[in-house]
Amino acid sequence: MKLPDNMGHFGDYGGRYISETLMPAIIELEEFYKKIRRDNSFKKEFNYYLKNYVGRPTPLFYAKRLSDIYKSEIYLKREDLNHTGAHKINNTIGQALLAVKMGKKRIIAETGAGQHGVATATVCALFDLECEIFMGKKDVERQEQNVFRMELLGAHVNPVESGSQTLKDAMNEALRDWIANVKNTYYMIGTVAGPHPYPQIVRDFQSVIGKEVLKQIKKLPDIMIACIGGGSNAMGLFYPFIKYNKVKMYGVEAGGLGIKTGMHAASISGGRPGVLHGNKTYLLQDEFGRIKNAHSIAAGLDYPGVGPEHSYFADKKRIIFDSVTDKEAVSAFQMLCKLEGIIPALESAHAVAYLEKIKSEIKGKSVIINLSGRGDKDMHTVSDFLLSK
Amino acid sequence: MNKIDTFFNKLKAADRTAFIPFISIGDPDIETSFEIAKTLINNGADMIELGFPFSDPMADGKVIQKSYERALKNTISMQDAFDFIKRLKAYQDIPVIFFTYYNPVFVLGPKFADGARNAGVDGVLIVDLPPEESDEFTKYIKKKDIYQIFLLAPTTDTGRMRYILSYAKGFVYYVSVTGVTGARETLPAAIRSKVEEIRKISEIPVGIGFGISTKEQVKEISGYADAVIIGSKIIQFIENNINDKSRILKEIAEFSSNIKSSLS
Repeated sequence: MKLPDNMGHFGDYGGRYISETLMPAIIELEEFYKKIRRDNSFKKEFNYYLKNYVGRPTPLFYAKRLSDIYKSEIYLKREDLNHTGAHKINNTIGQALLAVKMGKKRIIAETGAGQHGVATATVCALFDLECEIFMGKKDVERQEQNVFRMELLGAHVNPVESGSQTLKDAMNEALRDWIANVKNTYYMIGTVAGPHPYPQIVRDFQSVIGKEVLKQIKKLPDIMIACIGGGSNAMGLFYPFIKYNKVKMYGVEAGGLGIKTGMHAASISGGRPGVLHGNKTYLLQDEFGRIKNAHSIAAGLDYPGVGPEHSYFADKKRIIFDSVTDKEAVSAFQMLCKLEGIIPALESAHAVAYLEKIKSEIKGKSVIINLSGRGDKDMHTVSDFLLSK
Repeated sequence: MNKIDTFFNKLKAADRTAFIPFISIGDPDIETSFEIAKTLINNGADMIELGFPFSDPMADGKVIQKSYERALKNTISMQDAFDFIKRLKAYQDIPVIFFTYYNPVFVLGPKFADGARNAGVDGVLIVDLPPEESDEFTKYIKKKDIYQIFLLAPTTDTGRMRYILSYAKGFVYYVSVTGVTGARETLPAAIRSKVEEIRKISEIPVGIGFGISTKEQVKEISGYADAVIIGSKIIQFIENNINDKSRILKEIAEFSSNIKSSLS
């Protein structure tokens, strides 16, 4: 079965739950994308920028010292080596090309920690597009450096003061802006979530990660691990391997202070199905269906939802979802610095931390971890965390 | 027969345009919002739209966002909302439209329709539930003779208008501005021609909302619409006088009767 279906559903999940004002724009995007996704000149252009601007392909690195410790064969997909420091740019290059082809001159995007905001601001500079970023006021305060980066790149950053003043509220505000300016504006969603066709578009653009891995390996891996916020890096790695049933996949959610404390961002492990931001998917919510605030030390995972295709694969048990805590992620962060000389993003450190949880299972097996981003942005967070212990 | 149909039939016979105010249940607290609803009814509301406060109101402007934030401090449950509506219906039996985002309704499954029927809800407007996704919800309310009220926007083209109108019951809500809720000083000139376009396709009554705030706007719209819906402008009176309940009620009463008097 080909997913999503023509209404944008992944089984019970996905779909299009948005106000009528946006429906025509979403349908326009869907129809445009349907035509262009198989267009060879579009693919060629996308690949040109991935190679010459982003610096792809990224290496699949054999982490020897890490492998020795776990008595397994561990490879890191080095998305941290991309221009702007994470996988996010794969998607923004693709969507910017799409926006240009659609004749849209104004781009809006939401951002949490600022990684997607920076990746969006970057492509807007590259393609001469007006760029408005929506970012929760709290995130603006704790991610000053990324705000400055976006401004240097020519973007205008709008601090969002409503609700919890974090990523979900930034997304609400981006949607409100889109409702008001839908005629000339392209909404560049940063993850495999939102109304159809966004989960599909972002998956397609991020799939370059897994497709490269397929070319880089000699045999199929036994296990793949990726961290899950909205889930774009995980879907990018996993999707081209979904059909290989013997490849086991783990999606690692942000366990924050522990699932039991309620202070986490693990929508699948600790939430239930609901509807938010245009799609049906697992969400963190209270008994009345109101959305709860997420918590994670990794700002990029700090979102109370997850992409609908992940929800589908979770129910089908094709991807196994589990979580690690802030503390476990920071330990893995330190371990990777010392063992491999790689400073991972705190988000990606969640995937590395999962090795410890399945250490008996991975013995003698081959494992691919998506190292989705680099950790330069996290210096303050990690040092504060270590000092507060 | 659904009360919304009976209501619009009578309205048509009298050649009148209805006034439908919107407020959030629980803003600033349950009892005051109940007093506000009564005040609106006493001063000309023909039908009332009641909002269920949601944590992430993506289609709403600042005034309604703040209204929900005030109401959410009182942890209003769906049962509280149903009790509110039941009491209001006992006070005066006017048609009630329940406004909400989809998630609070979705999580209740079939229980929502039972509770809504019992409370006396006549129509449900779910701003993020377009007809494409609405079957799983309408299958529950259909049996209870409750209508889902659909929206049309300035961006909706004729083909899509036909599609949505084929689902519409009770009345259709035309969103007058390309934007979120909130009072506007000027409204787009194209509203009238859009309404005429709707009339060519369907005989369903047309209500107009989003952005409406002045007597002059109401007068103009009443020339071609069946209902005028006003929310943010009314809720602004709550925000402006948050510590003075009697003033909230007084200003809303004045505004409401003023609007009523400008409707033909």
